[in-house]
Amino acid sequence: MAAPRDLLTATLRFGQTLRQAGLPRTVSELMDAVRALEVVDLMDRQEVYMALRACLVARVEEIPAFDRCFDAFWIFQAEEGQGLEGLTSPAPAPHGEDEQQMDGPPGGEQKESLALEGWEEEGADDGEPLEVPGKSEREVLMDRDFSTFPTEDLDEVARLTVLIAKRLARRVSRRRRPTRRGGVIDLRRSMRANMMKGEIIELRRRERRRRKVRLVLLCDVSGSMDLYSRFLLQFLYALQNVFGRVETFTFATRLTRVTEQLKGPSYQLALRRLTEVRDFSGGTRIGESIQEFNRSWRQLVDRHTIVLVLSDGWDTGEPDVLAAEMLSLRRRAGRVIWLNPLLGNPSYEPLTRGMAAALPLVDHFAAAHNLASLRDLAGHLTLR
Amino acid sequence: MRDEIRTIQALMEGADYVTDAAIATSVYLGMTLKKPLLIEGHAGVGKTEVAKVMARMLETNLIRLQCYEGLDAAQALYEWNYPKQLLHIKLEESTEHSLQQKEAAIFSEPFLIKRPLLQAITQDARPPVLLIDEIDRSDEEFEAFLLEVLSDFQVTIPEIGTIKATHTPHVILTSNRNRELSDALRRRCLYQWMDFPGFDKEVRIVTRKVPGLNERLAREISRFMETLRTIRLAKVPGVAETLDWAQALSSLHADHLDEDLVAETLGCVLKDADDVRRFKRELGTAGLKRFVPAEGS
Repeated sequence: MAAPRDLLTATLRFGQTLRQAGLPRTVSELMDAVRALEVVDLMDRQEVYMALRACLVARVEEIPAFDRCFDAFWIFQAEEGQGLEGLTSPAPAPHGEDEQQMDGPPGGEQKESLALEGWEEEGADDGEPLEVPGKSEREVLMDRDFSTFPTEDLDEVARLTVLIAKRLARRVSRRRRPTRRGGVIDLRRSMRANMMKGEIIELRRRERRRRKVRLVLLCDVSGSMDLYSRFLLQFLYALQNVFGRVETFTFATRLTRVTEQLKGPSYQLALRRLTEVRDFSGGTRIGESIQEFNRSWRQLVDRHTIVLVLSDGWDTGEPDVLAAEMLSLRRRAGRVIWLNPLLGNPSYEPLTRGMAAALPLVDHFAAAHNLASLRDLAGHLTLR
Repeated sequence: MRDEIRTIQALMEGADYVTDAAIATSVYLGMTLKKPLLIEGHAGVGKTEVAKVMARMLETNLIRLQCYEGLDAAQALYEWNYPKQLLHIKLEESTEHSLQQKEAAIFSEPFLIKRPLLQAITQDARPPVLLIDEIDRSDEEFEAFLLEVLSDFQVTIPEIGTIKATHTPHVILTSNRNRELSDALRRRCLYQWMDFPGFDKEVRIVTRKVPGLNERLAREISRFMETLRTIRLAKVPGVAETLDWAQALSSLHADHLDEDLVAETLGCVLKDADDVRRFKRELGTAGLKRFVPAEGS
């Protein structure tokens, strides 16, 4: 059996390989892996593989990447009786910065949170009217379609979006509800209820605060839609402390998860870059995109989730697929809302094949083309 | 392979559970490293069974905590029996006992309702198997609480004091992935993904669990299930469905599959109206051959 020290260095280096492949593992997880290696047969490649997989894989999606790392790294020489010696041969040279991260807490995470704070400050113009235009002027702004603003005004409108969202966020209350059964004893209510009786006979209980609602956004970023997606995203992210979690996906012909990008160093920049996600091959495959979502991201949706789809409904795919996938989405989700900026146009009727197929399957169908419609939307962001 | 792992696999097979080296290894590591084992996988692939088999194998108690939405610490850990305490106070009213004595009496073990987590750490004989089933159905808050219990296996009850685990239980957590679990919980656990069994394993499971079945039918059933799972279905049938179906076919004294028989007993396998429709369409166009290709020809 290899000396424990070798095992340790080898495992730590394997940890580096994993991190480079996008599977960052903590030191304590790596220590568990070392302990596991001490109790398995190091001559048995399959057993070493299974032991490391049990310790260092956290979810099934990571298994393919883990397997690649394992194959690349584990130059196994059981035939020559060297066991894990192969491990200690130089693997992909660790970069200087990686080693630094090995010692201290990972710097990346810290940076990220700092950046987020920065963004909040930037958007948190709590210093009242300052930037808010006079009332009548504001009303005009509220009703104006986003697409008709000149480019130089867009930043101003964005600031206003965030401001409205923050006002709305403050209104959401978080009370505990009294309940008959279960929950914790509510001493105050029990005392009051029994005051006239001279002793405590009846116990009152109260329930925990209800779970925060989660949001999943599926944004169409094809063609003319990306302007609307941008404002909606900005609006919802400003509201996000009201929600347990916000997950964002964009689609045109393919589905892309952008949650992490939006959390990145510069929210504003990431938002502007959304357009780059879109592929120019033409057409929007809403049905297939939602299918992909249902298949791969099922676990994000439950009864406490509101799913928002932002799209004009111009689907080049099969309406049957769209209808089937919307149905399965609706069965799982707490609420499905479809936002269509074209609805702001009084002469618009949802007659496109895709829209007609999806419409009976959504709980709420609304426009999202101007500030007023975003404000109204907030009222619908609750569960049925 | 390590003898210990082979022994565990043999023991699990002996407890009527058909398994493979991957699962045996993770069970072995969980027991040796004293770490919880998180098993994820589709519904009906036998995740819960692992814990039951482990308990049988180790001849110890199985303590099960079934998670559901709204499950909280009181229901998982302990609760004072308030009505009993109130009653006791009433009965004690006329006695001479001092306040301290009365208090000590009502905040003692007989008035404590032990819920599964507290039960699991207060076993006398030997470490039990603690099954935390469908953790994905509980709330995030509960998950955080659980993390705390799993990390030090001790519980503090303000009125009594800290109760330390007599033995560290073997912990198995299962999840159907209805909700994404936190990274913190994942880091704390060993991980095992349980997929649908391959053809050979499923044949072994079927023949083991439904003894009266002839081998040809067992192979046909497994082949059928294997193909069925490649169709896009809303509810992909698991091993549990396979066994139900095999049981049903066995009690019908069937010895091979034909289209009528499949159509009559389809309810054992497919539990969603859309799936049934989709399957029937497929069966209508391609016939049963698509699902059960003739063997050995």
